[in-house]
Amino acid sequence: MYGFHGRLLRIDLTTQSYTWQDIESSRLTAVLGGVGLGASLLYDHAPPGAEPFSADNPLIFTSAPLVGTGLTTTAKYAVVTKSPLTGFIADSLSSSFFALELKRVGVDALVITGAAGQPTYLLITDDGVEFRTAAHLTGLSAQETEERIRHAERTEKGAEARVAAIGRAGENLVRFATLSNEGRHAGRGGVGAVFGAKKLKAVALRGHCRVAVADTGAVERIAATLRERSVGPQTAKYREIGTVANLAVFDRLGSLPTYNFQNTPFVQAEALSGESFVTNGFSQTHGCAACTIRCERLFRSLSGEAQRLEYETLFAFGPLCGIEEPDAVLRAARLCDRYGLDTISTGGTIAWAAECADKGLWPELRETGLSFGNAEAILALIPDIAHRRGVGAALAEGSRLAATRIGAEAESFAMHVKGMELPGYEPRSLKTMALGLAVSPRGACHNRSGAYEADFSGQVDRLQADAGRGALVAASEDFSAVLDSLIVCKFLRKCFDDFYSDTAHLMSAVTGWDYTAAGLKQVGERINTLKKLFNMREGWQPEDDWLPPRLLTEPLPSGVAQGVGLTPDELRLMIQSYYAARGWNEQGLITEEKKREFGL
Amino acid sequence: MDTQASTRSPALSAVILSGGKSSRMGRPKALLPFDGKPLIAHLVQRLSQRFSDIVVVAAPDQTLPSLPVTLVHDTVAYQGPVGGLCYGLQATRGTAAFVTSCDVPFLQLPFIDYLVSQLDHHGRDYDVVVPVWQDRLQPLHAVYRRSVVPHLQEQLAAQRLRPVYLYDTVPTRKVSPAEIKRFDPEGLSFLNMNTQADYQAALAQWRTLSVPISCTVELFGVARLTARTSRVALTLSAEATLGDALTVLGVECPALLGSVLSADEAGHASLQSGYTCNINGQDFVRDAHTRLRAGDSLLILSSDAGG
Repeated sequence: MYGFHGRLLRIDLTTQSYTWQDIESSRLTAVLGGVGLGASLLYDHAPPGAEPFSADNPLIFTSAPLVGTGLTTTAKYAVVTKSPLTGFIADSLSSSFFALELKRVGVDALVITGAAGQPTYLLITDDGVEFRTAAHLTGLSAQETEERIRHAERTEKGAEARVAAIGRAGENLVRFATLSNEGRHAGRGGVGAVFGAKKLKAVALRGHCRVAVADTGAVERIAATLRERSVGPQTAKYREIGTVANLAVFDRLGSLPTYNFQNTPFVQAEALSGESFVTNGFSQTHGCAACTIRCERLFRSLSGEAQRLEYETLFAFGPLCGIEEPDAVLRAARLCDRYGLDTISTGGTIAWAAECADKGLWPELRETGLSFGNAEAILALIPDIAHRRGVGAALAEGSRLAATRIGAEAESFAMHVKGMELPGYEPRSLKTMALGLAVSPRGACHNRSGAYEADFSGQVDRLQADAGRGALVAASEDFSAVLDSLIVCKFLRKCFDDFYSDTAHLMSAVTGWDYTAAGLKQVGERINTLKKLFNMREGWQPEDDWLPPRLLTEPLPSGVAQGVGLTPDELRLMIQSYYAARGWNEQGLITEEKKREFGL
Repeated sequence: MDTQASTRSPALSAVILSGGKSSRMGRPKALLPFDGKPLIAHLVQRLSQRFSDIVVVAAPDQTLPSLPVTLVHDTVAYQGPVGGLCYGLQATRGTAAFVTSCDVPFLQLPFIDYLVSQLDHHGRDYDVVVPVWQDRLQPLHAVYRRSVVPHLQEQLAAQRLRPVYLYDTVPTRKVSPAEIKRFDPEGLSFLNMNTQADYQAALAQWRTLSVPISCTVELFGVARLTARTSRVALTLSAEATLGDALTVLGVECPALLGSVLSADEAGHASLQSGYTCNINGQDFVRDAHTRLRAGDSLLILSSDAGG
């Protein structure tokens, strides 16, 4: 077999046992690797209705066919489970050397079930699994844990292990805790909390296996072309500034949510812009393993520490929470990394709490001094969330569950979809994105589709809703599903001449199997159908594909999109167009015919 | 900027019909002075920016100033637009011609470029491209292939003097008001003069349009870092297009050339792939012919917004 190993490793933490199992080649051709393989395995390995924090909920790592081929931006892996934040599928991606090492341990997937009795970490090699105590690592950050384990597991010949670990937030089952490796994070959906529920502190990998490709020459030619394009104008934004470049543009276009989605634009947008960060202070570029784009930007805080910063973090603590000082945002990012918290959900949940404080809906918040823009009070809440201390215990549940404790008024401005907090894209001025957020299987997500691309290109009138958006969102989701299952970084997406044709050619060269553009498109649709099927099995209802009440009742009060709103009828129209584009029924349910079409 | 549209094409000609009676105006409309110069001289000067071959069709006894054009006279006077069209097209050297009357002071070159581009629309060839404005076809602001001449001759022989008969005979692309507004929001191209009052109103409009406009370019991302500034103020001609603005921007911020902007041999600048433009935070535009208005803000940003 080329490109894949054709097997997975099942690990039971309860019995401390493991076994290898073959993966049918038909499954690999049908869903590729990454998110697709993860969704497929989750459907089969998770008992229906399993609670996210139960021992039954599987924690699935998947590699992908392009990993290890030397193709730029492909050192990635997926981690898939049932999300404790949403109750639906969580499929997160992370990258770099851990991803390469996952492929080297000779499997396409790890399926971890059960729960350990004591804090544990796993050392996985070509030969099998060792269950190690992690008692001495309890309370450490992911980075500290990674360093300790790498040191402890270094072989006499100097072979290093690669480690993904959780911090305090994961140990304490914060529903939006992350899994981290080498400063990268599988951020959204709370996979770190599922680690914590299993008392699993980390997974360490050390392997030697190689996977051959079918046509080395063809793969190298394609790799050379993509490498060259990856340093061209299509990726200049990521290379020169990083994703923080989004902030100033979004602000100017009326698409930067501020103060818990109460307004846009943000008065301090220039000071917080990526351009200002790059121009005004120290910045350093960094990249994942096997990546030529090198999008990561580290900025030095006033205390002298270099901190990685992405747009979503900048948005979530800056405009969303009202923090105006760049240094405070860097400190917030650092705290989230230290404790292992998803910055979007952390910022989103705190912004919701700040509005509760403003409205006097939650008396206990008075002691914290929390208000929009009060950087010190906001920063103080981050460790409280990680430790589940004081009001932090409620916030650790995420804005949806926390709001149900406060009351109906607080629920009306809890800005989430399916329990996952919204990213930094204002849905009222980005109507295609509004639909993408509403229907996404993993909740309010900007990664599993690029629906915003239609809005930001002039392809559509971004301020108006219409029945053409369903097809756009479905196509974008399918595109992302293939991208995330090959896996190729989405920042490379504009470097292809024709994405499906190019990647079909590439996959044929890697695996020796015949792929076509049309076939790969169908793979994308199959993967999204699978995710939806999983969600349906776990209790999805039509009302889960919806947006927070604020977005449907309050027009934007200022900015270039002043007065623009989104009515329930407009959203319903777009959702129906999405279901129609998918071939689902009017309730959004997958028909038997569709299941048969995809062999599901 | 679309260089094909902005350079003078030898395959295309322009025809100006100046042989009308001008009875309501009381004097030849072609000679009405604007800025002390006959209107027809302005028209020829403007059209010569696009067309190297310009034909003026005059009445048999009409006197015109000396102009760098091919001057022909109606063989039979006052046969209406079909006669002028036929004689004018016969005299052209190009395969197709933009045809206009002589009483339209506000021709919009980007709009003419668009009309010409529509001869081949979605892979289909047309013999005529004619705009529809205020619910009426505009035969004297249209593009005709030279190959329609035999049809026009047949019409003249049959005394069928309305151009619309031609449109029923040959493949004709009708350009909608929505398309027109992209290049000429107010429909200035169709503003013609029949009376002294029309002339006075046109003079007033002429003075307004002679005043340069100010626009602001807002730079984001790599463009901002490269130019080392976030804003650039531009002074542009009243009828400036996005392409014109980018060309001036390249002059004001030469650092942008090569990374954000590309310039062709004629010096016209355009955005490189990887960049896009938004006007006033509202509309994303890439068409170099997009007309700008006074006070517009041009946002130059990465075409990969989001991510």
